[in-house]
Amino acid sequence: MFSEDILTEEQRMVRDMVRGFSRKELAPRAAETDLGSFPEDAAKKMAELGLMGIAVPAEYGGGGVDPVSAALAMEEISAVCPSTSVIFAVQNSLVCDPIFAFGSEIQKKEFLRPLASGEKLGCFGLTEPSVGSDAASLQTTAIRSEGHWRLEGAKRFISNSGEADLCLLFATTDKSLRHKGVSAFIVDMNSPGIEVAKPERKLGLGGSSVCEIRIEGAEVPPECLLGSEGQGFEIAMKTLDAGRIGVAAQATGFIRACLAASVAYARERETFGRPISDYQAIQWKVADMATEIEAARLLYLKAARLKQKGLSFSGEAAMAKVFASDAAQRAGSEAVQVHGGNGYMRDYPVEKFYRAAKAAQIYEGTNEILREVIAKHLME
Amino acid sequence: MDIIVCIKQVLDHDIPPRDFKVDEEKRAVVPPANVPPIISNFDEYAIEEAITLKEANGGKITLLTVGDESSRDSLKKCLAMGCDEAILLNDSAFEGSDSFGIARILAGAIKKIGSFDIILCGRLSSDWSFGTTALALAEALDLPSVSQLQKLEANGDTLRCERVLEDGEEIVEVSMPCLLTASNEINTPRLPSVKGILMASRKQIPVWGAGDIGVDTSQVGAGAATLELTKLYKPDYSTLCEFIEADSLEEAAEKLATRLREDKII
Repeated sequence: MFSEDILTEEQRMVRDMVRGFSRKELAPRAAETDLGSFPEDAAKKMAELGLMGIAVPAEYGGGGVDPVSAALAMEEISAVCPSTSVIFAVQNSLVCDPIFAFGSEIQKKEFLRPLASGEKLGCFGLTEPSVGSDAASLQTTAIRSEGHWRLEGAKRFISNSGEADLCLLFATTDKSLRHKGVSAFIVDMNSPGIEVAKPERKLGLGGSSVCEIRIEGAEVPPECLLGSEGQGFEIAMKTLDAGRIGVAAQATGFIRACLAASVAYARERETFGRPISDYQAIQWKVADMATEIEAARLLYLKAARLKQKGLSFSGEAAMAKVFASDAAQRAGSEAVQVHGGNGYMRDYPVEKFYRAAKAAQIYEGTNEILREVIAKHLME
Repeated sequence: MDIIVCIKQVLDHDIPPRDFKVDEEKRAVVPPANVPPIISNFDEYAIEEAITLKEANGGKITLLTVGDESSRDSLKKCLAMGCDEAILLNDSAFEGSDSFGIARILAGAIKKIGSFDIILCGRLSSDWSFGTTALALAEALDLPSVSQLQKLEANGDTLRCERVLEDGEEIVEVSMPCLLTASNEINTPRLPSVKGILMASRKQIPVWGAGDIGVDTSQVGAGAATLELTKLYKPDYSTLCEFIEADSLEEAAEKLATRLREDKII
């Protein structure tokens, strides 16, 4: 199976630590977290261990690991608690990483340090009520006004927004410029004019809040512009490119959980006097899950390695995300099937991963859009 | 306060019983596939206690283990938790040592290290559970030892130790240098942090063999073992479900308690 040799000692140690943390701290509450409570204790412990800014260099309060280790950590958390994996993904891939990549030294000290140390929680405000995949058509506006940026508009389906202290918020300074008019702002969620609506009720991932943010005349100081004016689209796209490595690792974790539960159940459950693991119908399902785990992991590791080397990884990350999340959706469905009626019940863990896997096919670029991204790389 | 912690890497026992396999002919446990070995449970408490003492009093923590190259993984994990240095004691002459042989090897390494205040060990290993190595080590070094600690307080040059006993606790004071063994009541071992892992991955772990620590090879290894393993097997176990019939919960509880006592379970 998966060869340990392709990982460095540091990468293996990070993975093993996060595996231990997930089993000890996340597993006992994973079912409860899924049904709708933000895992506050877990988030605090993740901060203590350096997981809330895992790839941010230590000088800015983070863990300072490479992209491979960060992705392996993601797989471990996801294999136990899908909701917590979303909190981890948003904080790391969608908030800390872009502020580190595009922020000024002052912004890194002021905003990144408290985020990376886990003192503050962040969210990523790109999607809008009428704009999802077509990010160049943002309706939220940022207008210069008396030395400030004045923001108006709304953001929708924003993960972590129920608890977040900061939002990396995208708005257009000139709609006619399309993507070239988009800028990114680091916005204090407690600013006047920012209102977070009550959390959406959703299919899965209950422990991670998803809310609408209403922005009515929120004033943002000029020093909160991330990168330069008009660079927002580039920041959003590069952030999502890297985020997809995380989603791929997350979906790989989901398949792993489905496989482990299915194997354990199949060995215990007997029908017609034999454990169901004796039946080929069951064997094929677990064989497919195991095969897809290996393939999904190698795909995300390849994308993470390219990122580590500073090479282009956009196409590989898209492939990894599409493959792993589609495979996770299949694995979730088949794991429920292996469990029969029990699988459909919340007393067993697999339906939770089935519901979570659906989200992975949608967020951070729907799999349909990503297939277009992959095709574009091929046809260029 | 300079502390030496002796640890042992063992097979992960937290696996389903069906995956636990014994080779009766070789009289050995077959390592389960794809399950990495772990630090013996009680040793983690010893490490946590050493780190807590270091945080309060300063000093250095040195780790020792007798094992093969794979033991580096456990040493690295302890370094990531907050220990300072680690030494791997590995020599083909050490293979097959019993508890007393291991104690002689550890004693040789500790004599080479020289000065220290405390040696900390787990109360017993989570594979064989003999609980003899630490006390044999104290004997080999002619040190006072206090075993099965559930609490430890440093007061100047003396240590106040609370021991776990079957029917209560015992409080003793001991002067340093000494050897202590930790029980699981003493603390909650921490997980290594990401920062700790990065620091640990840069540390080198030297290997000391018999020649480096002046150990007489006729006194260690399989040839010197005084304990002979004559048979190793997996006990058969079966489960039986029995319902306790009663008219009320109270009566059912009483009947259950009586039944459990009859079977010497409580």
